[in-house]
Amino acid sequence: MYDRTFPENAVTAQDIKIEAKGVNVHYGDTHAIKDVSVDIQDKTVTAFIGPSGCGKSTFLRCFNRMNDTIDSARVTGDIRIDGEDIYDKRVDPVQLRAKVGMVFQKPNPFPKSIYDNVAYGPKIHGLAHTRADLDDIVEKALRRGAIWDEVKDRLQAPGTGLSGGQQQRLCIARAIATEPEVLLMDEPCSALDPIATGQVEELIDELRRDYSVVIVTHSMQQAARVSQKTAFFHLGNLVEYGDTDEIFTNPQDPKTESYITGRIG
Amino acid sequence: MPFYWTLATILGLAALGFFLGRHRAVASVGGERRKLHSLRKYYGINVAMKTLTPALGLLVVWLIAQPVIVEWRVSDLVAGTDVADTRVQTLVMVDVRRVANGLDTAVAAGVLSEADAASLTADSGTIRDTLGDAGVALGSDVSAPVLAAAQRYRTLSARADLTRTVAVLAVALLGLGWSLRETDGDFRARNVVEQGVRGLLIGAACIAILTTLGIVLSLVFNTIEFFRIYPASEFFFSTTWSPSFGGGSQLGILPLLWGTMYISLIALAVAVPIGLLAAIYLSEYASKRVRSVAKPALEILAGIPTIVYGLFALLTVGPMLMKVFGDGGLGWMQAGTAVMTAGLVMGIMLIPFVSSLSDDIINAVPQAMRDGSYGLGATQSETIRHVIIPAALPGIVGAILLAASRAIGETMIVVLGAGAAARISGNPFEAMTTVTAKIVSQLTGDADFSSPEALVAFALGMTLFVLTLGLNVLALYIVRRFREQYE
Ligand SMILES: Nc1ncnc2c1ncn2[C@@H]1O[C@H](COP(=O)(O)OP(=O)(O)OP(=O)(O)O)[C@@H](O)[C@H]1O
Ligand SMILES: [Mg+2]
Repeated sequence: MYDRTFPENAVTAQDIKIEAKGVNVHYGDTHAIKDVSVDIQDKTVTAFIGPSGCGKSTFLRCFNRMNDTIDSARVTGDIRIDGEDIYDKRVDPVQLRAKVGMVFQKPNPFPKSIYDNVAYGPKIHGLAHTRADLDDIVEKALRRGAIWDEVKDRLQAPGTGLSGGQQQRLCIARAIATEPEVLLMDEPCSALDPIATGQVEELIDELRRDYSVVIVTHSMQQAARVSQKTAFFHLGNLVEYGDTDEIFTNPQDPKTESYITGRIG
Repeated sequence: MPFYWTLATILGLAALGFFLGRHRAVASVGGERRKLHSLRKYYGINVAMKTLTPALGLLVVWLIAQPVIVEWRVSDLVAGTDVADTRVQTLVMVDVRRVANGLDTAVAAGVLSEADAASLTADSGTIRDTLGDAGVALGSDVSAPVLAAAQRYRTLSARADLTRTVAVLAVALLGLGWSLRETDGDFRARNVVEQGVRGLLIGAACIAILTTLGIVLSLVFNTIEFFRIYPASEFFFSTTWSPSFGGGSQLGILPLLWGTMYISLIALAVAVPIGLLAAIYLSEYASKRVRSVAKPALEILAGIPTIVYGLFALLTVGPMLMKVFGDGGLGWMQAGTAVMTAGLVMGIMLIPFVSSLSDDIINAVPQAMRDGSYGLGATQSETIRHVIIPAALPGIVGAILLAASRAIGETMIVVLGAGAAARISGNPFEAMTTVTAKIVSQLTGDADFSSPEALVAFALGMTLFVLTLGLNVLALYIVRRFREQYE
């Protein structure tokens, strides 16, 4: 874990997974993200924190171009993943989203069976050649999503019939079934009980071995527990970005400090 | 006092009651409005409501009951003359009413004095002329009993009118006084008004339901009447439809049902794919600008009266099909009116119906579903095929069933586009006809309404009603199940 927490200037270019420079997002006349630059490291968990409405989800959605689906949203600036400009005309957002998975703020299982929910991505991207392959992928994803034991006897039941927390874990399983390189998680634990939260946090920690994970959270403790890097947003500005330990023990900006202490203390 | 004056007076009383009630409520708490239980307008509305409702109710009941009672009271005067059965009795009553109205007009025009009108006798023989002077034409001479009845009718009516006015005004005043008395600061006027609103809504709902019930009952009774004079098995299973008003008709519904189904199927085959694809384009692909133009444009199609579609079938589509499939072309078609013509045009008519219903249903699929799918790297058409259509499918099926029941009930396009021959044939370029079109032709013209040839229309209507009702219930059931999916 400590090998990931060197000072920023020591990070080599190859370690940077996502490189965002001067990103601005407008929703019509609302300026939601104001000139934000961030380097997200590979094989690292990065936490986005900040008060409600500060633009965390919006910024997260820039990384897989989900903002394209909102008519009024306009994204400018430069975002590169593995050195490739993802807003380049030649980049297919569909391909990009297969590489950059996302778990949404509200659980949104499809009105299909639990099995089909998880199998959806692998089927579309042709990850499984046989039925047995697919069964395997589904089971593995459900296990990693910490929900296998609860649903293994009713894989054909509708995913919408699960509880809110179960649905969220199903969505996590669905996202990792496509084997993304980057996983974006928008408050993945907001509907979960402490036990499931613990399981998801374990999963996140485990995912860090292969992927880079960006997580939005309102829980300071969670950010401190799972992330190595933390970015604090306020009113669309990136106020502070650095090592999680640093941010929580020795914040440079008074706004960061008051937010963190206000929430924790 | 004439009727509308009575009405105006009770409306005036109600308005007066509104202000009085409001004032009294405020006065009862010494002008401190915060002590009132309800806003002060509720006290006013309460008084107005209690003034108006009973009086209005009485007025309506009276207006319905009065002619019945008056006629019953004079009927013994004309009874025993030439009253053979109830039908003649009714005709005589019509005469009585006409003479009574004639006398009224004559008095109003000054040709007769009120006393003269009451004392006229039949043998004076001049009634017809006198009334003629006043502009009332009578077909035949007025017989003594009819005249006497008419005179009694007039006196009774006049007396009843007077009593009515007095009674209604009395009820209104009573309501006004009573509701004013109960008005004080603690009175829960708001709750009472709420009850009143509820009553109003219940009343409206009852009227809607009762009229439907009435229509259904009239269908049912006439259908039963029909089956009493025509065997039901013939009607349901005979494959010949050849009504002849001289008797000996064969009234088998099967050829008509066949035509209905055939035309509806063609219509749905046109409307469902086009409508559905249009809906998908509009809701998923079209930009806001295109959508804001295309959607209303499609809905204009839905506003075109079906007779216009019928003309379109007859004058445009029929001849066009003739060019291709007629004698000059493939030679399959004898005339412009055919199942194909009507089916195509009906399909065009149904396109906006299917597309706008489906569009609503597709739009009701939550955005989160789309996000979930896009977030996994699915393309737009994959998302539509694998997520949106399956999610919306029950609703879309419901929309299709609703469209089917419209197709089955459609008349004008069939009358103009499909021809009038009742036959069972597989060739879509032949003329056929439908249940609805035959209902029209059975009832237009000088039909005797008690003959099986006319009564069959009710049996046909009933069959159609049961069919479309079944489809609608099925559609609603499916649509409702779909709704529950996103709780
Ligand atoms: N689809 C949209 N259309 C218009 N404005 C939007 C849209 N989505 C977000 N916004 C605006 O952009 C700003 C940032 O919203 P965002 O959802 O990114 O906040 P957030 O930090 O994720 O908040 P939360 O913690 O409550 O989820 C807000 O002011 C919001 O009103
Ligand atoms: Mg958010």
